[in-house]
Amino acid sequence: MRVSHEWLGEMVDLEGVEPARAAELLTLSGTEVEKVTAYGVGLDQVVVGEVIGLRRVEGSHHLFLAHVATPGQEPREVICGADNLFVGALVPWARPGTSLPIGVEIGRKRLRGIWSEGMLCAPDELGLGSEHDGVLILSPHDAEAGMPLDRVYPPDHVYELEVLSNRADCLSHWGVARELSALLSRPLRDPDVSRPARSASGPTVRVTVDSSADCPVYLAEILTGIGNTPAPAFIRRRLAAIGQRSLGGIVDLANYVMFEVGQPLHTFDLNRLSPPEKELAVGVRRGRQGESIACLDGVTRELDPETLVVTAGDAPQAVAGLIGGEASAVGADTGEVLLEAANFNWARLRSTSRRLRLRTEASSRFERQLSPHLARAGADRFIHLAVRHLGATLGPGAEGGAPLAPAAAIRCAPRRISSILGMQLSSEAVANPLRRLQFEVREAGPEMLVTPSPYRTDVTTAVDLAEEVGRIIGYQEVPGTLPPIHQAPPLEALAEPVARLASAACRAAGFSEALSLSLVSREREELAPRLIGDLAHLELANPLSAQLGSLRQGLLQGLLLSAHHNQARGQDRVRLFEQGAVFWARGQERPEEPWMVALLDLADDSPEDGVSRLRHLMALIASLSRVGGGGAVEFRPVTWRALHRTRAAEVWAGAELRGIVGEVAQPVADAFDVRGRVEVAELRLDGWLKPGGLPGHAAPLPRTPALVLDLSVAVPTRALLGPALQAVSALGLPWLELVMPIDEYLGDQLGPGLKGWTLRLRLRHPERTLTTAEGDAARQAVLRVLELEVGAKAR
Amino acid sequence: MTPVDLQELTAMALEEIARADSLERLDEVRLRYLGRRDGLVTLAGQRLRELAPEERASFGQEFNRASGQLRSALEARQRQLAAGEEEQREDGEWVDMSHPFRGPGQGHSHPVAGLIREIEDIFAFLGYQSVAGPELEDDQHNFQLLNMPPEHPARDSHDTFYLSPPAYGWLYRTHTSPVQMRAMLASPPPLRIIVPGKVARRDNPDPTHTPVFHQVEGLCVDRGVTLGDLKGTLEYAIRALFGRERRVRLRASFFPYTEPSLEADVACAVCQGSGCRTCLQKGWIEILGSGMVHPAVLRNGGVDPESHSGFAFGMGPDRIAVLRYGLSDLRDLYENDLRLLECF
Ligand SMILES: [Zn+2]
Repeated sequence: MRVSHEWLGEMVDLEGVEPARAAELLTLSGTEVEKVTAYGVGLDQVVVGEVIGLRRVEGSHHLFLAHVATPGQEPREVICGADNLFVGALVPWARPGTSLPIGVEIGRKRLRGIWSEGMLCAPDELGLGSEHDGVLILSPHDAEAGMPLDRVYPPDHVYELEVLSNRADCLSHWGVARELSALLSRPLRDPDVSRPARSASGPTVRVTVDSSADCPVYLAEILTGIGNTPAPAFIRRRLAAIGQRSLGGIVDLANYVMFEVGQPLHTFDLNRLSPPEKELAVGVRRGRQGESIACLDGVTRELDPETLVVTAGDAPQAVAGLIGGEASAVGADTGEVLLEAANFNWARLRSTSRRLRLRTEASSRFERQLSPHLARAGADRFIHLAVRHLGATLGPGAEGGAPLAPAAAIRCAPRRISSILGMQLSSEAVANPLRRLQFEVREAGPEMLVTPSPYRTDVTTAVDLAEEVGRIIGYQEVPGTLPPIHQAPPLEALAEPVARLASAACRAAGFSEALSLSLVSREREELAPRLIGDLAHLELANPLSAQLGSLRQGLLQGLLLSAHHNQARGQDRVRLFEQGAVFWARGQERPEEPWMVALLDLADDSPEDGVSRLRHLMALIASLSRVGGGGAVEFRPVTWRALHRTRAAEVWAGAELRGIVGEVAQPVADAFDVRGRVEVAELRLDGWLKPGGLPGHAAPLPRTPALVLDLSVAVPTRALLGPALQAVSALGLPWLELVMPIDEYLGDQLGPGLKGWTLRLRLRHPERTLTTAEGDAARQAVLRVLELEVGAKAR
Repeated sequence: MTPVDLQELTAMALEEIARADSLERLDEVRLRYLGRRDGLVTLAGQRLRELAPEERASFGQEFNRASGQLRSALEARQRQLAAGEEEQREDGEWVDMSHPFRGPGQGHSHPVAGLIREIEDIFAFLGYQSVAGPELEDDQHNFQLLNMPPEHPARDSHDTFYLSPPAYGWLYRTHTSPVQMRAMLASPPPLRIIVPGKVARRDNPDPTHTPVFHQVEGLCVDRGVTLGDLKGTLEYAIRALFGRERRVRLRASFFPYTEPSLEADVACAVCQGSGCRTCLQKGWIEILGSGMVHPAVLRNGGVDPESHSGFAFGMGPDRIAVLRYGLSDLRDLYENDLRLLECF
């Protein structure tokens, strides 16, 4: 919303208050000033001239030669490109030597053989808004030739405000003036709402409101003898300053009052309200199915029982609080009006506004819970101005709705305010800022009774009062402290969170951390390898696009997209990991949100390299599990959708499947437009890793020497080492400390269908040196197991 | 053989030692003069007993001196030659040590994830525990218990993604605040938690919006917690994040779940407060929203607002990362371009 500094100055003394200072005070107290723009500053050099002659410049289609006069001076010739000039027009004339506020120096210029004596200006050239449709034509009501333009447009500043959604009271100059009055501690001058006595003659009006919940207050006032002549200059100037066009005296006045006191008004042409009866019956009721109304904006809108309408003789005349009807609109010939000053239910207006996809200045005020008390002030202010400036006579009026409850007093102890804010405030220090806000403060023993301004619907409790005191005093006055710790954090807080442990492990292993949106394209994710098997995706009911239409079930499609992104930008070696929640549907129940980590290792390399990268990935998984308290892991070869037929394994820890690891199948890599072999893993961490428990068990290091034996065997080419080693461990050989593979031979010297393993056995007796015979016995035992398990032969 | 002969022999030997140009040659010299059986100096020593007793003493002395001198000369020369040979070998193994090798070093942090860890660390110092909550929520926890009934105007800024079918009632949380509620309902005060996590709002991606982004929520509930405590806590955290010298200001605001409500701004680093494009000419950049937990929200969380009070705050690490690292487009944070990640 825009407000004018000059306009505000009528309601609160801003003498000596720079716009930047006022803007800062407003911003810090909650009404953020986004921008301050000078309006009509530096117009003292521009003069009002009268066009006394006008002709086309010979040989030009769009240039005119105007004779411009000021009293007591020879008329001068000015060339102008605008086509809205006419003889008798009063125009802003920047004579040679003038510098315009937008930074342009005006000189004498020769155009098509004619000397042009300066320039006739459009509004934007004068810093009066952004309009550039033609020369600014001044009304003879406001200006006369020879007058400096700053008499018509005194210097002003316009504030662009971002009003908080609970502060409907600030959507007006009066409201902002109330704030400044409190912030600056200067008295508030309320707008003049005095009005004459009613004339008893003429038509009368009756108001029927079906539900006071829908419409707490409806004031109808008849004004006769009103002339739809232009509103006074100060009103049009102020409306122009805040970017409002002039739409005729009556509508301008209604707009002016809305921007001044904050109450939306509607004016009906009394004689166009049907049926024209002696007593006009105005009603506020719900719309009916099948009803419609042709609105002021030329659109016909369907009504329904959810929509509030204003009726005359039961015929809809306006969508309440939103937009008036075309049939009863005020026109140039209007001489009698019915003024509406009402308040409508904010929630109903919000939903109507949303359904009709229409938002107006009026509706945006009502839907923020405008105070119903404003209606009276709005009506009276309009009446005051209309009587004074448009020659109106006040006729009969009527009211509908429920009697307005006065603002309720809030009981609160100054001590409570102090303890919320963390400041030691005396009763006086609490009462003062509240009184400055036009709140009534009464002492009641150790407590006080505070009645907020009736225009403030947002202040209802003691904490609301604390906020008012705090923001008017200024939060810079509150001393910063730290809350004392009364109780130590729970011991679980000391454990390193799983997410941090996993992130550190992956980074240490050379993988960089990625983050993706959790919204995916279902089609694309279905291509990618996932730990979860076939499960329908959770879909958004209102997605932005199909690309972001589903919730992710895994993390690998995101990493594959990132791999493609990097490769397309010349990064051939991509190692990324991502952690985060994924979403698994469970019918009507709360969806499951497993916490996952996925890793991706891509190099555009030879096939052998794929294997070593895959093995490094598996080593990382095993160590992550060990360090994270997840125990030993076992890799079980498997065929898995979207992974290489023979390069995929499930990751088991204990009796639980925790993840998958493998090489992405070539067609899948192709589908993601990724070149080279892509090694990936996806693991579910929650329920598996439990870092930070009490220390595990360790033992003193042995002092006796180890007996190290190597055992070379020939096995079938597809023999699996994992189960073979498990079988050896299961044997429970005494003193066997370690068995590990140290070599794999894949050449053909062993004969067709065979490969070679060399295993290293390390045996150790805790008290003595083992003998060669004991070593041989162990070697034989291992060999026997390998024979049984995988058909191994010694070599 | 006289002591004089011995001296000559020694001089010859020293010269040969000096001339030997390999360990092999040097060994030959050693054998010639000090060989156990027929070394020239060894043989000279064996003549000792042929001498008259009065000559023996001086000759013996001379012999010991000569053989000692030779031995140390041999040793020195050997050390010298050995070092030379090692040098040669290493010369043959030359590598270009200026090569800017980019091998598998440590991986890099994501700027947002790194920032979240930093924020967790700062608050861990103040006694806050990092907790998580579900990303899919119901209307109750995301809105109603936080004082945002249906049609509440504050819902306008929370354009929500609903899950299909809407009848099941799930939505993607629009803020991390529902975790406040869950934490209060789960355990009695005192509570000090920090909640990092993903949230979503229905904004089309552009340089300042992504439909999914991160928030870090904080909550402190205890006896006698004041707005001054909130201010002190925020000032500490903001200075820790943006530097001791950075100016901070608190501005009154409105959130349905806090009262009083405050927003915190830091001075724009680009223009130092004079106004520029980054700060939309304001000179300040908004970085977090906060306030004293609304009594109704405390009550909804099972906390008695008569005996306890609390404050809450929420910040956007994505936005803070963009500001802190001088990036220009929030969407870049979710491309995972290694050229960006490798900066962290
Ligand atoms: Zn700036």
